[in-house]
Amino acid sequence: MRSAIAWVLLGAGGALQLLAVLGVVLLRDALDRLHYLGPATLATALVAAAVVVRESFSLIGISALLLAAFVLFSGPLLAHVTGGAILQAQRRGDG
Amino acid sequence: MNGWLWAATAFAGALVPLGLVAALRPAVHGLVALELGGLDAAVTLLLLSEGTHSQSFATLALVLAVTSFVGSVAFVRFLAVLEHAGRRRR
Repeated sequence: MRSAIAWVLLGAGGALQLLAVLGVVLLRDALDRLHYLGPATLATALVAAAVVVRESFSLIGISALLLAAFVLFSGPLLAHVTGGAILQAQRRGDG
Repeated sequence: MNGWLWAATAFAGALVPLGLVAALRPAVHGLVALELGGLDAAVTLLLLSEGTHSQSFATLALVLAVTSFVGSVAFVRFLAVLEHAGRRRR
């Protein structure tokens, strides 16, 4: 049962990450590309959850939890800072 | 080779198009690709850790996530400095 849940979480994370990569590669505008950092953050959390379900609270599981917590905390911050830089570049006519 | 290692291979393969975007597009576009690439590489290391049952890869994933975040913020700061220098030159 735990294994099945881990595979479902891993599949969902992989699909979201694929969507994020396709979005960043195929879209033309930098701000449109930036929107796909959100799904990638969630994908990281899903993969980390898959590892925790399979490993429970071993050293790898705790590392996965810490990784997910850090990414969920830093993702929106990074998107905000990057969005500001993109807006500046677009005003300059470089974005 | 188990499923976790196959997943790690797929995630590592996703780094190739992101690298191309980072190399070929303007700096701000490349920055977004770089940020996503950092996340992708961290997840790849986590999956490698699970696939090989090696704790060291998981620690590396955590360190990469932190350094990738700091590096991206530094890159944004450099872009702002470049912008400021360009405005002063004009």
